[in-house]
Amino acid sequence: MKELAETAVDAALGAGASYADARAVEMRRQYVITKNGQVDDLSDAESEGIGVRVLVDGAWGFAGVGRLDQDGARDAALRAVEFARAAPGRHQTSLAPVEAHTGEYRTPLERDPFSVPLTEKIDLCLRAEDGMRNPDVKVTVAMVRAQREHKALVSSEGTNVEQDVYECGGGIDAYASSKDVSQIRSYPSQHSGVSGQGGWEYVERLGLDREAPRVGEQAAALLRAPACPPGTMTIVLSPEQAIMQVHESVGHPTELDRVYGTEAAYAGTSFLSPDDLGSLRYGSERMNITADSTTPEGLGTFAFDDEGVPAAREAIVEAGVLRGFLSSRETAAELGAGHGGSMRADGWSKMPLVRMTNLHLEPGAGSFEDLLADVDDGLYLETNKSWSIDDKRLNFQFGTQIAWEIKKGELGRMVRDATYTGVTPVFWGKLDAVAGPEEWTLYGLTNCGKGQPGQEAHVSHGAAHARFRDVQVGVSA
Amino acid sequence: MSRGLELAQDALRAAQGDEAEVVVHAERSGVARFAASIVHQPTLIENSVVRVRVLRDGKIGWASTNRVDDEGLADVARRAGEAADSARPDPDFPGFAPPADYPNVGGFDEETAAHGAADQARLAAAAIETAGDIGLYGIYTSGVTEIAVASSTGLAAEQTTTDAVCLCLAADKEASGWAERTGWRAADVDPTEPAREAAEIAARTRGGAEVEPGPYRAVLEPVAVADLVRWFSYDSMGAQGYLEERSFFCGRLGEQAFDPKVSIADDALDAANLPRPFDFEGTPKQRVPIIADGVIKGVVWDRTTAARVQNGQTSTGHAPPDAWRFFGPLPTAYAMAGGDADSPEELAELVDDGIYVTRLHYLSIVDPRGGVLTGMTRDGTFRIRDGKIAEPLVNLRFTVAMSDVLGEVPGLSRDRSLVNLSDLYEERFAHAALVPAIATAHFHISGTGSGPGL
Repeated sequence: MKELAETAVDAALGAGASYADARAVEMRRQYVITKNGQVDDLSDAESEGIGVRVLVDGAWGFAGVGRLDQDGARDAALRAVEFARAAPGRHQTSLAPVEAHTGEYRTPLERDPFSVPLTEKIDLCLRAEDGMRNPDVKVTVAMVRAQREHKALVSSEGTNVEQDVYECGGGIDAYASSKDVSQIRSYPSQHSGVSGQGGWEYVERLGLDREAPRVGEQAAALLRAPACPPGTMTIVLSPEQAIMQVHESVGHPTELDRVYGTEAAYAGTSFLSPDDLGSLRYGSERMNITADSTTPEGLGTFAFDDEGVPAAREAIVEAGVLRGFLSSRETAAELGAGHGGSMRADGWSKMPLVRMTNLHLEPGAGSFEDLLADVDDGLYLETNKSWSIDDKRLNFQFGTQIAWEIKKGELGRMVRDATYTGVTPVFWGKLDAVAGPEEWTLYGLTNCGKGQPGQEAHVSHGAAHARFRDVQVGVSA
Repeated sequence: MSRGLELAQDALRAAQGDEAEVVVHAERSGVARFAASIVHQPTLIENSVVRVRVLRDGKIGWASTNRVDDEGLADVARRAGEAADSARPDPDFPGFAPPADYPNVGGFDEETAAHGAADQARLAAAAIETAGDIGLYGIYTSGVTEIAVASSTGLAAEQTTTDAVCLCLAADKEASGWAERTGWRAADVDPTEPAREAAEIAARTRGGAEVEPGPYRAVLEPVAVADLVRWFSYDSMGAQGYLEERSFFCGRLGEQAFDPKVSIADDALDAANLPRPFDFEGTPKQRVPIIADGVIKGVVWDRTTAARVQNGQTSTGHAPPDAWRFFGPLPTAYAMAGGDADSPEELAELVDDGIYVTRLHYLSIVDPRGGVLTGMTRDGTFRIRDGKIAEPLVNLRFTVAMSDVLGEVPGLSRDRSLVNLSDLYEERFAHAALVPAIATAHFHISGTGSGPGL
């Protein structure tokens, strides 16, 4: 693979590129999905190819070809140069300097997920489904997945790295319905379960079958639960909902390409400006956000990003103040700070974009019960169900699968269809407690969309329970 | 491009001894993505994906690859067979689709198929130049896609299509406007038109004002209508959501749930859309009435969901592409009937006092069974006063029940627009909606957001 990437880079330079990088990628993805006691999907997808990115007279060009051979590598390089030459506009592209690295990285794992028999995976899913059975539950779904991405990156500046990344994940869903109401309950997350970098041991630790009875019972109970009443109150978010808040209202707005407007037409921009670095109050003193591409089991963990920048741990928000952006070499050069490190591409056929890696809400102190104890009248929300945020990442509205009223420091009755809404820096300004490290949990999501052509990034976030005061709850049509 | 049907049949032979189905999905495309009037992410893709589905002893296994040499095809057939061996028998499996005759629906244009990087860059440049001083953001993309299906039933289906899309956001710090064009002939997608329209809309958006949340009447342009119907369709208009009781349509078939002026059908056979003769199982496409004169008529089906219902229901030709399998059959060429209004301005007269919406952003399903959606407006939100489009507004959060939005529709535009529905994830599968602008008596604004602009 490295040789093909080298061929592509040489061909691009020979055709007039001033800079080139090439990623040769082999990808394999396996899904096992069972639904209502039947195998619903048993699929094994592989894809390989090479993506070549070039700069010609300051203009980018990119081409991906779905085969790994010398001709394909040269063809991709020449087509990328052709597109760069044709690109209209006055181009001026600078890249923050990065030391050329050579090296290899492989996910630490105990059990290769592709060596696990499919029958074992099916059995796990069916067991978990069995556990969710309930007269009110009409549909049960269990899913496990495995992925391996083997890629080589070579650049004209001397970077030459090879990485072999394994992911595993799983999740369960119970859909309950009555004449007029349908409800879903999921574990560990609604978003295709959760995933982590590692071997099959990651899936085994999830305990899908262990949690299944609770998931089925709660789905059924939601049918009889009252709708969440509206009001302004204190809310406590579960770690899984808190990470969605981090993802949408901190992760995306701190992507520097959005700040500079290059995602404006599709995903949107950001309420942040480059000048906000070091001064903007993003939230309360309790708010500490870290980008960390070294987090064990993180889906955004690597040795080098797709520009060859080494992994690092960096503060994004410290004590409520904006301290960093997620960046590429190009956007870092434009900002005049940083060196990139967040460039990631979805497979071989897409250009790398500024993406989240692993972005965490750092823990505070105390337990979940400690957070509840200081709430006289509020709402505890668990497991994301709906999510929407405006194009500058300011006005958001989230819904959760389940919620409980908090009365005098204790959880009360269950309510359904809970929603809450706010404006990003105002909302984070109301953060007054984050539970301690013992409650901090890492979640990996595989459905973060961005770019045109669209790309899905796999990212992880860690958080503990978090408490926010004076939040508007219960938005309805 | 790949050899299409020939490749599918090669893969079918590699799965010798089994009942099998092969789908080939190949593309050659270019996306000239621009921001601040500069093409900054030009992407060329060339790829062929072969998906094999094998049936052994009543058990199904899937595998796919983009290695299309003999070794790759043999390997993907082997992996699909191994998956089938590991599966459990599926008593509901309806078998692979039988051979069929397919109509010639069009959808292929030689000139568009011949597009290369220079063409995509040139057409993006034309849009950028037209926008003038204001920054232009978006894409010009064109491509050629080949879908072939072959199976051990003797089915052999092949279609090569072309498509061209130009999406334009004209914007600066305080203003933004949106317009777009889609077609299967590049000649029908003049990039200067959306660029000009987007710039004109943007010029009217400076100084967006806030409004109080609450109930409003509204005019929704076709882009907004298409997005609302798309998100409503995910749970409500496909057989999977219907059978799993997430659909708003559950228990309401035959009910007059919407304004009699509302009719929505899925019609991939219409050459005015992006036409397709068959689905990803090789089943011929049918025109499916979903809502007729406000009455709920039905949902779209593939072979698996049709077999599950066990009442004689057959596939309507809506088996999804590989990447959407989990969501089941969905409408991908829906058409909403137009009305009598000559223009959106005439719809504003019907609304009299309300909100004018050009485009929506980041929709989400709050309550699938209730058909409740939320999202934001953007890139051209205005107040309607005294029947006229008036001052610009900030972006607004809406939380609406679709039974309200489509429940009282004072009017629809006579002209309909073909609105792109593809975000170009996974393999290229161009699809679009043919919809009018509508006036609605119910559009609930639940919050305010940022102003127009970057």
